[in-house]
Amino acid sequence: MTSPPRQLTLEEWDRRHADLLTQGLREPPYGGRLSRHVETEGDLRLRHLRFDNSAAALRLWNFLLTENQRLRAARQKGERLVGAMKDLGTVPVMAYALPGLRAFYPDGAWWTPCLMECSDRLLQLAGTLGADDSFCPVRAMLGAFHTQEHFPEPDLLICSAGAVCDDFSAIAARLERMGRDILWWEMPRRRQPEEDEPACLLPGGLSAPQAQVDCAREELERIAGALGGLAGCHLDAPRLQAGIQAANAVRGALQALRQTVFTAPGGPLPALEMQIAEMLAIHFCSDRQESLGALSDLLAEVRRRVQAGQFAIGPEAVRVYWVNPVADLRAMNVLESCGGRLCGSDFMFTHALDPIPEDLPGFEALARTALADPMTGPALDRGQRLVTECRQNRIEAVVISRIPGASHCAWEGASLRELVASHTGLPVVELEVPPVCDALLPTVRTRLEALMETARARRARSKPGPAA
Amino acid sequence: MEIIVTSPWTPLEWIEAHGLEPRGVWGLPACDRHALAEGVCAFAQRLRALAGTPSSQPMIFTTACDQMRRAADAAAEETATKVFLFNLPATWKTPAARRLYHQEVKRLGRFLERLGGRAPDAAGLWSVMRDHDRRRQAERARASLEKAGRTASRGAPLALVGGPALPGQPNLCELIEAAGGTVALNAAEPGERGLLPPLPGPQTGRADPGDPFAILCDHYFDHIIDVFQRPNSRLYEWLGPRLTERRVRGLVLWVQVGCDLWRAEAMSLREAFGLPVLVLESTETGGGFAARDLNRLSAFIESLR
Repeated sequence: MTSPPRQLTLEEWDRRHADLLTQGLREPPYGGRLSRHVETEGDLRLRHLRFDNSAAALRLWNFLLTENQRLRAARQKGERLVGAMKDLGTVPVMAYALPGLRAFYPDGAWWTPCLMECSDRLLQLAGTLGADDSFCPVRAMLGAFHTQEHFPEPDLLICSAGAVCDDFSAIAARLERMGRDILWWEMPRRRQPEEDEPACLLPGGLSAPQAQVDCAREELERIAGALGGLAGCHLDAPRLQAGIQAANAVRGALQALRQTVFTAPGGPLPALEMQIAEMLAIHFCSDRQESLGALSDLLAEVRRRVQAGQFAIGPEAVRVYWVNPVADLRAMNVLESCGGRLCGSDFMFTHALDPIPEDLPGFEALARTALADPMTGPALDRGQRLVTECRQNRIEAVVISRIPGASHCAWEGASLRELVASHTGLPVVELEVPPVCDALLPTVRTRLEALMETARARRARSKPGPAA
Repeated sequence: MEIIVTSPWTPLEWIEAHGLEPRGVWGLPACDRHALAEGVCAFAQRLRALAGTPSSQPMIFTTACDQMRRAADAAAEETATKVFLFNLPATWKTPAARRLYHQEVKRLGRFLERLGGRAPDAAGLWSVMRDHDRRRQAERARASLEKAGRTASRGAPLALVGGPALPGQPNLCELIEAAGGTVALNAAEPGERGLLPPLPGPQTGRADPGDPFAILCDHYFDHIIDVFQRPNSRLYEWLGPRLTERRVRGLVLWVQVGCDLWRAEAMSLREAFGLPVLVLESTETGGGFAARDLNRLSAFIESLR
């Protein structure tokens, strides 16, 4: 059932799917042809993507693209749905620790215009609801709440406030004004502890004043009370600890996958699938057990490929670190077609990748993890992790992907670029990726090709010359 | 020593009680214009530019929005100016948020001491608080007189709502009046929205009026009326009765270019109060006002007459 890694078009995948079935492929209930998502869900973008040809990748894609159905089925079974917003990775750990709750991120609707190539008209709808195109594409969430077609209405909406981006904060406030009850919780802006101020270590190697951790912890305890009320079951310490362990199992699988892919001589898994796999960490794509299964399959596949010396992306490709998620998934394919290979990433939720400390009381551990969110602190902190990972992963070039309209992108790009350049000397390019980037492809390609060219020239210069 | 304050929600009394001189950024003279980086809020960029001027005094930024936070980071990293980033809680209904505010005021005190300020005793702090309270009372009386004068004028009564106006940017009140309107409510910055109500302590008449630090912190924390708060219902609850009482017929929403928080309120304001809203966006960090916007303002007021 295995074959050498290759990237397939949607049509090619359908043929391969039929072949795999004849070879005895056993799929989960959400399995099937990838092209059915175009036919039934209108996910037109799939026609323009290139997919990894492994059965593990097929499972990943089918898992991702059936989330709406999964949520609706859960609702029908009587489960309660929690719409977590903005914190990207913290509230779902608590929600999934309770029976009968499923958490998801309505924020995820920001990819719907991409997947549906704007045929969903969510962005236009958001404009009529008060969030025009000066806001980041996450405004699609407003439209999705309005149409109720892309996810079911959550039973409880929870949103972090404070040290969050302005776009999201403004859009969530608009959502509240449109009649949704939102349970807000305070996320302090992470800062360096002052001299003699009690402080603690955070996952990812950062530190923060204990007072800020206490604030976040108290807020998370309050959120846990609301979740417990919804579940009809108290989120006690053993339950939370079990939830943290289960979340860490997913994070562990993802870390192993990243480590294997980023350190292999060639690219055993393409960038697009890597980005999708990382997304599973934030809310388990609404099924924690299945997300672990999907990641375990991917990990087994990449380990097999590495052992066999088989790579989807050749060893000559430039090792690239990518900063920020792309609004158009196609951009990840473009990276590879321009000669790059994903060897490091910060898709704005690195705190959801790091293991949650298991040797601390549960809420303290979660509070520390939440405070390690790269978006709650200065760009300098984010940049330092970027520099460290560039060195660890022998990165040759950095791409800072701008999200159109996003408040943080206006400032952090320059800071990150300067930090990377001064600490590593690596070439850096900034580019903006809208939800459907076809019209900008020539520009995106040109900038990426120039970056690869520069990186290859540096590589050539750094090789020892012939002996005199 | 002057301390530049960039938000109405930083207790000026606390700075003054430390023997330092708080100064609002709104009243500073205009500095050189800078081209705006894409997506950057004009106000935030202006503050960053101000921090970069050689004569800049220590500055207190707040976390009211992402752009301000990042401007503070840039100012701290790239300039020699002493910068304090005050963590203003966005939420306001919980003990955790209140405690965070108190802690930040304390931390501000330590910053001021590092600058040479001295920690005030209770009597000293009370004295400064009472003085500010009297000044605010006078300010409210002046605003009330102005309001009465404006009500008597024949211009269409408007509310000016929104974020800060910068030195060098047009005086919106004057522009509105020149176009035939009257600013019956100034809810921009600086303006009535930032004018705290009387302090509870001095009016109680008790022998022990309580801990001035806690009273000061609670007074500010309980009266923040701003767009960044979550929920932002206080802003609407504050505006509602004033718009009715002053018979406001339209809102002018003043938005700095790149400011998501105020821009996103346009439709909510329209829906909440059933009044027409004209969004005026600053076009640059300083200087003029586009002729197009003047025409829009005139047409808006004309349509309300």
